[in-house]
Amino acid sequence: MDVKGKNFKRFLERQKAYEQQHSPEIAEKQHSKGKLTAWERIELLFDPGTFNEIDAFSTPSSSLSSFGKITQAFGDGVIIGHGKINGRLVFAYAQDFTVMGGSLGSVHAKKIQKIQDMALKMGAPLIGLIDSGGARIQEGVSSLAGYAGIFLRNVMASGVIPQISVIMGPSAGGAVYSPAITDFIFMTNKTSYMFVTGPNVVKEVLNEDVSFEDLGGASIHFKKSGVAHFVYDDEENTLRGVKKLLTYIPSNNLENPPVIEYNETKEHPIEELREIVPDDPNKPYDIKDVINLLVDKNSFFEVAEGYAQNIVIGFGRLRGKTIGIIANQPKILAGTLDINSSIKAARFIRFCDCFNIPILTLEDVPGFLPGIDQEHNGIIRHGAKLLYAYAEATVPKVTVILRKSYGGAYCVMNSKNLGGDFNYAWPTAEIAVMGPEGAVSILYRKELLESEDPAKLKKELAQKYREEIANPYVAEERGYIDEVIDPAVTRIKLINAFEALENKHINIPSRKHGNIPL
Amino acid sequence: MKIQLKKTKDEFIALSPKDVKYKIKNPFGEEVIINKKKQEIKIIEEDGVTFVIYNNKKFAVEIFEKNQNKYEIIVNGVSYQFSVESPISYERKKYLSKLQQQQKIEAVTAPMPGKILDLMVEENSEIKEGEPLLILEAMKMQNEINSHVSGKIKKIYVKQNDTVAKDDVLVEIEVS
Amino acid sequence: MKIKNLLIANRGEIAIRIANTAKKLGLKVFGIKTSKEPNAYYLEHVDEIIDFSESQEEIPEFLDIEKIISAAKDYKIDAIHPGYGFLSENAYFAQRCEQEKILFIGPSADAIYKMGNKTIAKQIATKHNIPLLQGSLGNVRDYREALQIAEKIGYPVILKAAAGGGGRGMRIVENPSQMEKMFKMASSEAEKAFKDPSLFLEKYVREPRHIEFQVFGDKHGNYVHLGERECSIQRKHQKLIEEAPSSALTEELRQKMGEAAVKIAAAVNYYTAGTVEFLLDADKNFYFMEMNTRIQVEHPVTEMITGYDLIELQILTALGEKLPFNQNDVKLNGWAIEFRINAEDVQGGFSPSLGKIAKVIFPKSKNIRIDSGITNGSIVTPYFDSMIAKLITYGENRENAIQNAINALKRTVISGIKTTIPFHLAVLHNKKFVNGELHTSFITKEMDKLYYNEPEDELVAAYVAVFDYAAELENDKSMIINFQKSREISPWVLNKRIKSL
Repeated sequence: MDVKGKNFKRFLERQKAYEQQHSPEIAEKQHSKGKLTAWERIELLFDPGTFNEIDAFSTPSSSLSSFGKITQAFGDGVIIGHGKINGRLVFAYAQDFTVMGGSLGSVHAKKIQKIQDMALKMGAPLIGLIDSGGARIQEGVSSLAGYAGIFLRNVMASGVIPQISVIMGPSAGGAVYSPAITDFIFMTNKTSYMFVTGPNVVKEVLNEDVSFEDLGGASIHFKKSGVAHFVYDDEENTLRGVKKLLTYIPSNNLENPPVIEYNETKEHPIEELREIVPDDPNKPYDIKDVINLLVDKNSFFEVAEGYAQNIVIGFGRLRGKTIGIIANQPKILAGTLDINSSIKAARFIRFCDCFNIPILTLEDVPGFLPGIDQEHNGIIRHGAKLLYAYAEATVPKVTVILRKSYGGAYCVMNSKNLGGDFNYAWPTAEIAVMGPEGAVSILYRKELLESEDPAKLKKELAQKYREEIANPYVAEERGYIDEVIDPAVTRIKLINAFEALENKHINIPSRKHGNIPL
Repeated sequence: MKIQLKKTKDEFIALSPKDVKYKIKNPFGEEVIINKKKQEIKIIEEDGVTFVIYNNKKFAVEIFEKNQNKYEIIVNGVSYQFSVESPISYERKKYLSKLQQQQKIEAVTAPMPGKILDLMVEENSEIKEGEPLLILEAMKMQNEINSHVSGKIKKIYVKQNDTVAKDDVLVEIEVS
Repeated sequence: MKIKNLLIANRGEIAIRIANTAKKLGLKVFGIKTSKEPNAYYLEHVDEIIDFSESQEEIPEFLDIEKIISAAKDYKIDAIHPGYGFLSENAYFAQRCEQEKILFIGPSADAIYKMGNKTIAKQIATKHNIPLLQGSLGNVRDYREALQIAEKIGYPVILKAAAGGGGRGMRIVENPSQMEKMFKMASSEAEKAFKDPSLFLEKYVREPRHIEFQVFGDKHGNYVHLGERECSIQRKHQKLIEEAPSSALTEELRQKMGEAAVKIAAAVNYYTAGTVEFLLDADKNFYFMEMNTRIQVEHPVTEMITGYDLIELQILTALGEKLPFNQNDVKLNGWAIEFRINAEDVQGGFSPSLGKIAKVIFPKSKNIRIDSGITNGSIVTPYFDSMIAKLITYGENRENAIQNAINALKRTVISGIKTTIPFHLAVLHNKKFVNGELHTSFITKEMDKLYYNEPEDELVAAYVAVFDYAAELENDKSMIINFQKSREISPWVLNKRIKSL
């Protein structure tokens, strides 16, 4: 072919027209709003030079519009394609806010559906970079149908390939349901928001004044609603976070999670672990200090840090291999389980179970949070979710009881009879039907009433209770705890335990799917 | 397809909360460019302590706290806060600060009923997001009540040994 | 009398200080371990540890009189040193020791009681013609009586708690309209802090200097003073910097005040170490404030300029030995300044800085003395005082001491927490401080910045932040992820996994 001839010239002209759609002047529109362009986000996310765009030139035809004009831009406001992230194949779509506000029309939707189908076919993760005004009004019901098609595919792929949504601009109306179904949601502070009904409609219908940020900004979803799992202050860091998350998870549900090179050959006892949990059961401490000492250095990546802080979830590594971690946080709400924390942990357990990620549970829980508020809002249903998730999971499950473990919470937090593979306890563990003060009040009610100094007697009895019933050795002797261990050797024990469980596989009775309380 | 993007590798802007900025290029090199001037500056570890050698002087430094790209660095005992931006994220910050809202007052409420064991702040003291405000004793456990915003303590409504109910306002913070 | 061992009913730097001298005297040293800091540094300096960490009591360990006495009996303890704070000025504790034939390293219970009650102390001072600030003779019944007295002596006046000090239960009243409110506030604060709402009233001196005299007595009626200490640099009535001698005193004034201090000690038959506190006004008039019947935090500065070991003197005089020198032998040489290093965030309003101390580096030189309660890995808890160490410098004169202090503080590194070191450097660079123009409101009135830094420090901080962040980005890039390994699944598992889907 003659590179100066007509054929090649036409090809070059189209390339140029495409480039103009992404020119620096157009980019400035995004920058002036404090956002990056769709291409810049792709560049930051994928390894340099590995991204290949598909359907760059799909254009909506004007006949699609039932009302008003549509810009006939190449790509119809979304870039789809595949590339490598840290050397691994990943599929992605990035909505382009500069084209009709990133709104979703039927061609736009079809492109997203195409990449969803591909990701599922190849068994590779799919990342959605969302920056869209929502359904394209001009295209009417076709836009809505487009969304429905996307939701269907999200559900079909759920638990088969990891799906990550990165909200980098608006995501409003029905559009929020796609991210909601995906496994993890990232948001960027101040420039992204999600809500089902926007402030304008809220004002019209309820006459309530609320800003975008206060209704569905990143920090609301991080701290109040629990919808956003990760929030960063700017887009670069958000995308760094996405890459970091990917290093912990496999490409599909048949694979094991990726393994990081780990060079240290010898493991040593960690004496600091002995000092973290106070002997006094009422003194709080930060469970993250324990987690950080147990996992490989700097490998703990917390998920949903801002929500239900009384339970900590996240990924970590043991000798380079990923584990999922669930841990009660004694310094918030005394580490009790409540509605929000039960749901937060339950979904995480199910994600790990979908993707062959072993689960470590660190337990220090005095029970479920009492109160009318919890009861009336259904702690019964929501607590059951956590129980169900643990029992249903067939990945390796190891529990370490650090301190308190009372009543129903003992059962729920992956106890041996619920299906725990290895259950360890520290010498500070207290396992019982209920705490010493409560138990003593019931068992010795008569003696306490008749006593001259009930406060002193109660203290003595509580001490006796701790020594005779609530200690972990009773459970150890009956086989409910495999071993009471020296906190300093916990990491070594865990590494050995997970290694032994590497080839674990059990089948649960076959059915279409269970009926988890919702 | 060749889309020309702004290449800004190795150029960073350290930004303080009071908008002081240091443009630093080539941080690992022999000659680091700080605010357009070539400087000789390097980091060494000695005896378990990190030092910076600059202008023939030795500065003891410590990364006291770090969250994503936000740092609290101690130099010779005094702490400085910086967020590390890329030139793009710096532009973004400038844009967002123009849209800044009015001074907001955030109320910190009791998450459950209990007794105030200890107050860790005073009125008019500065507080950072995540730092403890007071210790609330409930369920026989001591719970740290932390601030969810950064700013200045405007008013404290409780004192030591007060009993509070769920949702009682404990502290009001002027958000900065 | 002879003793073989000594129990230190205290912790931190003073426990280490006492242990060092006790061991020098050939005594076996016992220390108390608490559940709040089971691995504290001071426990490494005692010969035997008495374990209180099982204790589930409400009373803090170092205030639990009966528990300490009972432990002392169990372990056959000959003597107890209470340090400062805690039970050191608790007359009942001294009495209990006496009853159980345990030597209390301190004065008699009677002296503690008398000097502990501000009203009685003032009556004793009056009897011996020692100048006092005008005020109420005894406690003030109510705000009306306070108004009457204030009318007579003139405003401003200050209301103070009769049962305690340290700034609590204290209110300055500038004019009559404030009296009722201030009286109520001071009284309720006193009730909370000392279980005694009683107040007394005295004239308020503006910008006074806090001058205290170290006195010593023995059981044979001998008394001396070891010169003065100036402790005017205070924040909310807590001392931060102390020096000996004081730049405000002439030899003549020293003699007059020293004599007054000794008279007070003699009046209560005082033995072992004590400190008599005075206020000095702008006209060099001095007024007796109170006597502290214990060894004080700032005793090192006196030791540096007199050459005596005050803890050793305490133990010897408690044992009944005569003071080994008389007033003429006491010579003051050079200048010493002490800086209290507290675990506090100066920039954050001196709020407590808790957590683990990663690394401690103190400078070593013959002009520097460090009395420290911390080492690498020590944990600062919220249960005890925030003072973790004291840095004391010595110089031939005040200027030298100041120079040595600046150098020493700059070479001190305590990482992992925030400390008051930048505050001390700010004071040392303050013109008025260098000129010796001190008074108790120095911090609020004479300092425009409470911490010291140099312009380059900020640039260095920015560089460190960028360096670390850039290193992280580099790290991200060089992460080696083995995706191949994650696809090597044993056939056993893969087979089952596929079947179960």
